[in-house]
Amino acid sequence: MRFALTFCLAIGLSTSTLLAAGYPPDQIHYWDVVMPLMRKYCNQSCHNADDLKGGLNLEGYDFISRIQREGELFTRLIRLVENGEMPPENKLQMPQTEQDTLLKYIKKYLKEALAIPNPGQIPPRRLSMREYAYAVQDLTGIRIEPRDYFPKDPSGGEGFDNFARVLYLNPLLMERYLEATEYIVEEAYCNVGHWKRMVPGYRESWSTAFKVWWQGVRHDRDISLEAPLAAAEEQITAFATRAYRRIILPEEQQKLLDFFLVVYQELPDIPQRFDLSMQQVLKAVLLSPNFLIRQETDQPTEDPYLVSSFEIASRLSFFLWSSVPDDTLMEAAYRNDLVQPELLRLQVQRMLRSPKLKRLAESFASQWLEIDKLADPSHGVDQEIFPEYSPDLGHWMQQEAVDYFYYTLTGSKNLLELIDGRYTFLNEPLAKHYGIEGIAGEKMRKVPLDDPARGGVLGMGGVLTATSLPHRTSPVLRGKWVLEKILGTPAKAPPPDVPELEDAKKTHDEMALRELLIIHRENPACQGCHQEMDDLGFALENYDAIGRWRNSYGMKLVDIDASGMLKSGEAFNGPVELKELLRKKKDQFAKSFSQKMLGFALGRGIDFKDSKTVAALSETLLENNFDASLFLTEVVMSYPFRYKLSDPVVVQEF
Amino acid sequence: MKRPSLSRRKVLQGLGACMALPFLEAMTPAGMSVARYVESTRPKRLAVFYFPNGVHSDDWTPKGLGANFELSRTLKPLEPFKKDLLVLSELKNREVDVRGTDGHYAKTAPFLTCHNITKTTGSNIDVKGVSMDQVAARQIGQETMFPSLEYGVDPIISGVDQNVGYTRLYGSAISWASPNQPCSKEIDPHHAFNRLFRTVVPGKSSGGQDPWRKSVLDLVMDDAKRLNKHLGAADQNKMSEYLESVRSVEKRLTSQEKLRDFESNITPDIKKELVKLNVRLEDYVEVNSGYDVTQKVRLMMDINALALWSDATRVTTFMFGNSVSNRNFSFLDGVTGNHHTISHHRSNDRLLNMYSKINYWHTEQYAYFLERMRSMKEGDQSLLDQSMVLYGSSLRDGNSHQATNLPIVVAGKGGGVLKTGQNLQFEKETPLANLYLAMLKGLDVKVDQFGDSEGVLTEVLV
Repeated sequence: MRFALTFCLAIGLSTSTLLAAGYPPDQIHYWDVVMPLMRKYCNQSCHNADDLKGGLNLEGYDFISRIQREGELFTRLIRLVENGEMPPENKLQMPQTEQDTLLKYIKKYLKEALAIPNPGQIPPRRLSMREYAYAVQDLTGIRIEPRDYFPKDPSGGEGFDNFARVLYLNPLLMERYLEATEYIVEEAYCNVGHWKRMVPGYRESWSTAFKVWWQGVRHDRDISLEAPLAAAEEQITAFATRAYRRIILPEEQQKLLDFFLVVYQELPDIPQRFDLSMQQVLKAVLLSPNFLIRQETDQPTEDPYLVSSFEIASRLSFFLWSSVPDDTLMEAAYRNDLVQPELLRLQVQRMLRSPKLKRLAESFASQWLEIDKLADPSHGVDQEIFPEYSPDLGHWMQQEAVDYFYYTLTGSKNLLELIDGRYTFLNEPLAKHYGIEGIAGEKMRKVPLDDPARGGVLGMGGVLTATSLPHRTSPVLRGKWVLEKILGTPAKAPPPDVPELEDAKKTHDEMALRELLIIHRENPACQGCHQEMDDLGFALENYDAIGRWRNSYGMKLVDIDASGMLKSGEAFNGPVELKELLRKKKDQFAKSFSQKMLGFALGRGIDFKDSKTVAALSETLLENNFDASLFLTEVVMSYPFRYKLSDPVVVQEF
Repeated sequence: MKRPSLSRRKVLQGLGACMALPFLEAMTPAGMSVARYVESTRPKRLAVFYFPNGVHSDDWTPKGLGANFELSRTLKPLEPFKKDLLVLSELKNREVDVRGTDGHYAKTAPFLTCHNITKTTGSNIDVKGVSMDQVAARQIGQETMFPSLEYGVDPIISGVDQNVGYTRLYGSAISWASPNQPCSKEIDPHHAFNRLFRTVVPGKSSGGQDPWRKSVLDLVMDDAKRLNKHLGAADQNKMSEYLESVRSVEKRLTSQEKLRDFESNITPDIKKELVKLNVRLEDYVEVNSGYDVTQKVRLMMDINALALWSDATRVTTFMFGNSVSNRNFSFLDGVTGNHHTISHHRSNDRLLNMYSKINYWHTEQYAYFLERMRSMKEGDQSLLDQSMVLYGSSLRDGNSHQATNLPIVVAGKGGGVLKTGQNLQFEKETPLANLYLAMLKGLDVKVDQFGDSEGVLTEVLV
């Protein structure tokens, strides 16, 4: 196709010929007008297959549809051209009129692409280890610590561990599933309370025994298996339905029942016979791909469609509770309620009130804020320099962030308080660490703050420690963190081949940091990003590498200079003023937060096709005073959460 | 209410203790001496050790070429193994040196694949090839319990690096069973030990296995097969992963024959080592946020060496840390700070000195492993003589991140195929893949080309 087309263009086929060949006028206009501009100013000396400047090849965009498929990339390119960053100064410059034409049409193509709703595909995914542990807990009552069994899950997309594409399965994992399953089932059996809820059991009554005997004697019929089989059928069906999160198919039910019978018949006639047989069946359910893998049925259409009630139930419960649906949600799915927006809203509201919502806080907050690092033993704080730090303290710091986040979801219901709030969650050791008096005991609780500096995620020990080096603070890391998490404008990767800082053979002292970074920024390649990044970080210099307040560096009594300026020109000094400014940038925060939450909810990366959804979600936040319940409800009600596209291969096969 | 478990698994009996080894003479083909026969059947092994963040360049390369060389500051701990070493300079992983990629992740994942990887935050993970250890495992790993084993110290790094647009998964894996899927690495010494040896260490056995385990596995495989029929490509992929995993577990865990084979490898010498190691493991507790990393690395290395010695596997890889490792190395005298930050030394003498000390620590651990292997005997040879033990990083200097002149050492004679005891300097930008091709050939793996290889690095071969 490509060859044929290049050939046509090369021999200069006329527009009418191409029209006659069936190409739409827009496409022909693209070849005539737009593509040559791209050729001339982008491809020719830089972005081609050989030079690959910036790792980017802009050749081969022969069709508008190709541009539309890479909306993310082209949105970025438009920005670069508009900002005058591309083409670079030393290259052929684009006259204004030509630039206007190029951008106008590219924007038009992208807008058209967005007009066609695209919910994206959600490939099947293994439960993350976090989800697995919660699902097991909700199904069997047994809690396992994923770390004790499984390697850590990788993450992708927006940075969460529920990202479908990288949740692999391999022999090592399968071996651990087997081990975990055997442990879980035995442990459940040993706990009579848990077991009876799952397997109420079967006991042969006097009258059944008599019936079995009578049938044997009178009619030569053995009906001894009928009663236990009936009990097994009921109990297996109930358990498998919850574990598989849908109605189990007759053949699935039959297989499990057959297996039950095999075990039952092999066992001697002991009182535990029924329970022991059920144990084996439960193992099969908990190891089944129907439990371990979340998958949705694809329909034979190329158009987006509403996912089924049971599938929405799963999406919903894994999003809000990191686990399988409860019985109420399953019943709602069974009644097909969840395809009706109003009834779906009701379920969301119910689920937001459940204590299981804490799991969302744990999972989302620790990954979004990237404070799960504190639990990684290799990311140590240097305890010779900071003997006051301990792994326990690190754990409470994480807890502070989770509790705080949970409170913004359920208590204040105001997500803007993530940036600033006059309270936090502390226990005695953490309060002491922050220099706050009057808190006794290890229990975490909500504590009002007198000091305006501490409140919000920027004043949390967890965030401040996770963005520091083992032995000192790093304004660069903290600045980078603020750009990514709060403002949603991550810095670009450092350019390759940054020249060494020959002049910078300075000491490794914190005091010299500002000086060193200023030298660093003299290089224009670095300045663009570092100016703002470093300044943002310096605003937090009053917090040391483990999050304690300080007014000067060490014993040397050098005062801390926490002043700086945003790229947009606003000056600030210290955390209080920084937070004030960031609150004013709440539209940026709303957008960045919406993108992260949507990514977490969908288990995939958020890109160009989702721009409308992200924009709508940030509107919801901005217009409703950052109301958390409303926001989470709107995430669920959003188009990509309820709709999907089939895997193209399936569509072809039908 | 608690009740004692009634479903105690059946105790396996008669295994391990009295398996008589076959008489060698009876096994030896006519016309061949016993010694020759033993030589020819003794398996060759491959072990790879990866360390992150490169090296202090000036302290790495030995002085003097060929057989007459003087070990550098960083390689000093390898003095006792000088005759078993190949120190190789000017090798380059050429494919990873592409504009617009990043310094760490895009070099770590391809360390053993020698291809350029796809930049992604996760939706299309692709390293474009299978890693060299996995190529070996597919051929020489089929007779053992495990085709290969992957070890490490740190869990996968979470998250996505938003600056560079890569999932950090790329920085957490060097072994790739397929271009789209890395192998999970085992980082917990207890798990790693139990997985291999729980049936052969007295008092360790969990009492055999569930008699219906195989039926359970068959049943769930049925589920997967049924689902597989109705699914699209991506789905089938996940289901195939599932099926392959269950199959492999079933093959290993339910085959008494394989287990018996393995247990017959456990000579009294090996058993003695296992028992000793088991005692050390019982003393080793990893608390939430602190452990002695030297101790942990050595435990993992002991397990790694024993896995090779007992022929549980013939191929292993080991990661000292993930890409951009921020391990706090302040436990070393004269070092303050973490690995990655120090590796960006900006030519500062103080930082360079710390960097060098961190490199030295890694070499010391590697030397420990070599020492262990040398002490493990197979007939008149040592395990080290039978093995190739690669040690290296995916970049040279941590400050500037190039994948040129990589720090690479290979130890062990590989069953007599490696010409050790040399410091070799190749032409600039010689493909690293040439070395891998030579190693694979030395291991009797049938392969003509690997990654971007242009030929076999014959200088390392006898």
